[in-house]
Amino acid sequence: MPRYLASRLLQAILTTFGVMTIVFFVMRLSGDPVLLLVPEGATREHIDALRRELGFDQPIWRQYLTFLAGLLRFELGVSVVQRVPAWDILASRIPYTLALAGAALVVAIGLGVPAGVIMAVWRGRWFERPIAAIVVAGQSMPTFLTGILMIMLFAVTLRWLPSSGVDGPQSVIMPAIALGMLSMSTFARMARIAVVDELGKDYVRAGLARGLSPGKVVTRHVLRNASIPVVTIAALEIGNLLAGAIIVETVFAWPGIGQLAIQAIQSRDFLVVQAIVLFVSLVYVAVNLAADLLYAGIDPRIRFGRS
Amino acid sequence: MTGAVLDIERLRLEIDGAAVVDGLSLSVRQGEIVALVGESGCGKSLSAFAVLRLLPDAVTLAGGRILLEGRDLASLDLAAMAAVRGRDASIIFQEPTASLDPLMPVGEQIAEALTAHGVVAPRVAMQRAREMLVSIGISDPDRRLTQYPFELSGGMCQRIMIAIALICGPRLLIADEPTTALDVTIQAQILHLIRELVTARSTAVLLITHDMGVVADMADRVVVMYAGRVAETASAEAIFKAPLHPYTALLLASIPHAALAPKSRLATIEGTVPRPSSHGVGCRFASRCPLVEDKCRKETPPLVNHGDGHEAACWRSHDVGMLGVPA
Repeated sequence: MPRYLASRLLQAILTTFGVMTIVFFVMRLSGDPVLLLVPEGATREHIDALRRELGFDQPIWRQYLTFLAGLLRFELGVSVVQRVPAWDILASRIPYTLALAGAALVVAIGLGVPAGVIMAVWRGRWFERPIAAIVVAGQSMPTFLTGILMIMLFAVTLRWLPSSGVDGPQSVIMPAIALGMLSMSTFARMARIAVVDELGKDYVRAGLARGLSPGKVVTRHVLRNASIPVVTIAALEIGNLLAGAIIVETVFAWPGIGQLAIQAIQSRDFLVVQAIVLFVSLVYVAVNLAADLLYAGIDPRIRFGRS
Repeated sequence: MTGAVLDIERLRLEIDGAAVVDGLSLSVRQGEIVALVGESGCGKSLSAFAVLRLLPDAVTLAGGRILLEGRDLASLDLAAMAAVRGRDASIIFQEPTASLDPLMPVGEQIAEALTAHGVVAPRVAMQRAREMLVSIGISDPDRRLTQYPFELSGGMCQRIMIAIALICGPRLLIADEPTTALDVTIQAQILHLIRELVTARSTAVLLITHDMGVVADMADRVVVMYAGRVAETASAEAIFKAPLHPYTALLLASIPHAALAPKSRLATIEGTVPRPSSHGVGCRFASRCPLVEDKCRKETPPLVNHGDGHEAACWRSHDVGMLGVPA
């Protein structure tokens, strides 16, 4: 178990390092930020002075080393646009995105997993079809479309919920549903496949044979075995939720890091973009690490280092 | 039949309307081991599953009665059937390792057999599970109880399955190819264990196997199935001495034995079992039978009693001796 943990941690650090390196170079391929910062008609000297001040005159390998050294001290630099530490800008947005992604995850897992289990256990019954229809709808509707349709129905027509922005806890409901729909369908499909797969295994028949009711076999044995692929999906889906947040935050004017990312990319605010990517990749890596630990908790074969 | 623990009467199982088991009747008395024999696809395992109503979804119980101490299991509802399973009648399977939940310590799975029937409280159940392991001769029972299936050998998993099957003291044990998946050396130990346990408890056993060697070791009586029907039924002694169905005779002839010359060809039965959908009139073994004659293809032979409960479904029972059976 300690070895398993250590190897997963090392992988997590390497992944983060790799992501940051790629972002560093890709951002610098996108063009010169200094040209966007200076006022129109600025002189050559003015531009060079600003470039020197921001450190963009250094050779790229030196900029990279400075960047890595900063990372090790957890210094993300100062936004070249707003002239405040990039971390401060990011930190003010993080709670909103976490609230949104968290609520979306609750929607996705809370509806998706039970729907999948129901479709698997009672497959072939009449109520499998309407549930499957909802799942397919959730899967095929683009996030921006569900978002706008919901705004029209619940905010404009019915006036039940605020159309956008953050105005009390009810504000998160529509963005969370819009963001969680696609994941909900993924969870439903994966949970269904996993449960159907487990239901066909010998231990299910053996469980019935020792007198367990079908319900007991499902709750005591099948669900736990089926949870392993679902945990895998959950880890991947959290990444998708953070990516999807960019669209949903734009549609609902939600002041999270998705919205910030778009603004920062448009103004080539390198250091803020780097800070956002670092944060998202850390979340992603942490979530996958948590999933690996969860596998070990669920499956003794992983715990004891066998396959 | 009086005194029978299990009495199957004219069992019929269908897949998509085609009979895969057609009119199987057999009975198992207290303390008796009855072997149900046949090659793959003859319906023997499905018949075993049918007794506990554990048939795959595709297979339907289309007719017949399954009397367990006089109670017809074929007519029970789901809840009543769950109460029977593991308590009045148990089954052990061909794949012991796959038959255990990989994520649960085996001790809990043994205890489940008790708690499922509300026999004892969960705390007591674990103690009883331990006693059961001791009684089937498993060393270091406390450690075994906490182990997971992947930590145990196939033979040990089958012992655990046997413990699960017998812990509630059922009157009937069904063993579906219990040693097929195990090493040859372990096979003998498991068979010995089963025989010892059922003898001590006077449990009736329906043993499903394709291995005539296992039959010779274990069975009191034998029911030979071919393509969903009973071909022959007799005491184990009679069937090995003088089979009355050519299929049985050829099965016996195909057992490899030590007296065989090295590198000599093993005897086989030409052809394969016909598909259930292709069954027409006449004897189903006709296409592979060396004694076949016109009548066999036109009329289905009935199961005829030749005395001492030795029954065979063959028009030429009296000529089977010509085929010769290895001593």
